[in-house]
Amino acid sequence: MISVKNLDKSFNDNMVLNDISVTFKAGKTNLIIGRSGSGKTVLLKTIVGLHEADRGEIWFENVLFNNLDFKEKKDIRKEMGMLFQGSALFDSLTVEQNVRFPIDMFTDKSSEEKIERVNFCLNRVDIINANNLFPSELSGGMKKRVAIARAISLNPKYLFCDEPNSGLDPLTAILIDELIKELTEEYSMTTIINTHDMNSVMEIGEMIVFINEGRIAWEGSKHEILDSDCEALNDFVFANSLAKQLKNSSK
Amino acid sequence: MIKFLSQLGKYCILLGKVFSIPEKPSLYYKQTMREFVYLGINSIGIITIISFFMGAVITLQTAYNTENPIYPSYLIGLGCRDSIILEFSSTVAALILAGKVGSNIASEIGTMRVTEQIDALEMMGVNSASYLILPKIIATLLFNPVLTLISIIVGILGGWIAGTLSGVITSEDFIYGIQYAFIPYYITYSMIKTVFFAFIITSVSSFQGYFVDGGSLEVGRASTKAVVFSSVLILLFNVILTQLLLS
Repeated sequence: MISVKNLDKSFNDNMVLNDISVTFKAGKTNLIIGRSGSGKTVLLKTIVGLHEADRGEIWFENVLFNNLDFKEKKDIRKEMGMLFQGSALFDSLTVEQNVRFPIDMFTDKSSEEKIERVNFCLNRVDIINANNLFPSELSGGMKKRVAIARAISLNPKYLFCDEPNSGLDPLTAILIDELIKELTEEYSMTTIINTHDMNSVMEIGEMIVFINEGRIAWEGSKHEILDSDCEALNDFVFANSLAKQLKNSSK
Repeated sequence: MIKFLSQLGKYCILLGKVFSIPEKPSLYYKQTMREFVYLGINSIGIITIISFFMGAVITLQTAYNTENPIYPSYLIGLGCRDSIILEFSSTVAALILAGKVGSNIASEIGTMRVTEQIDALEMMGVNSASYLILPKIIATLLFNPVLTLISIIVGILGGWIAGTLSGVITSEDFIYGIQYAFIPYYITYSMIKTVFFAFIITSVSSFQGYFVDGGSLEVGRASTKAVVFSSVLILLFNVILTQLLLS
């Protein structure tokens, strides 16, 4: 379980997160949704410690994460995997070396065991015969898959995904969503995904948090989202005219 | 002034992170070997070419500006040797390396910053500053003296070839000149300067790249700043070190 209490974050005088309190469900796919610039990425990066919170608490189970020093945070970070918006694969390393990197850094496994684990992770995300390719030789979808393989290489307890299907075609985007959901269930991970893609919301959202102008405006499940009275959420979910018509006709 | 002090503070804090104990020395070793190739061995070509022609020009300039029967011609060889050892192979070569290696480091680390690769390292609990910068510093501190030695040898060779082919000096006089009144400490002086300059180039360029904020435009700016600041600091420390080491 990951819990955030009264979280504030600002950059210079710009308040990006304002008194955010939310609990993400353990072993579930939790979604943070909202318009571009609403503070989703800042929230995710603050939760994982890439940004320092101005105020508030971030709890991983019973540990107050944002009070820990670098070394103490490191132990929890070993249990985290993160998929970045642009994949963030290391350009100078091959696919195999990218996935192997966390294993090399934090385990004392033998070389054979490491390669076995790398191949297992790559097979799990359907990347075959690409071990020696460099990130520049991969398509957008493949990069995301390799980044997922790297994120799960140490069997994390927590998986964070920042816009996992941005820049992908709808079909590939759904495949990536499904893969994340499958992995979440398979490894009983607590997964938090940032997205503004409604396909993702309806496909994999088990718990959804809607952020509007740095504040949590709504929380619920994908079934509840369609019947919400939250105006900002309805504007976001039913953004196009066809969806608005369907919503009005269902009333 | 406040901005300068703030930047200096950030630079010192970054160096503190860089020189912390490595998490996995074997990975740092691999990374250092990679940097030896990228920052060191890949610079041999440009250093060789520039040193050769600079040695040649120094010899010809010395010859044409000392056309006087009072001066023995072997002084051309001596002038070539001392100019190359004292200033060219350490300072001018360092300025050239600030352009090649400095911009390379700043753009590499800057690109890693804007494409979230540094965030990915931090997420894994890796000390990104140490992992990315320490191997570069070690590689340049160890390899730049080798580049300086290559530069000295090739520069003097260039001077000898240009001098003898153009007929401004005989081969015997040039060789006598480069052996005449040789002070071995000049090599030590040159090496000490090289090590200082290597540290300046690598740390300043890494600092500029590490704190890039924005996109490709800012990476380009960081790269330019890395070259400019490194060059200015090299020139400043050249004066300070010369005063300290030769006075």
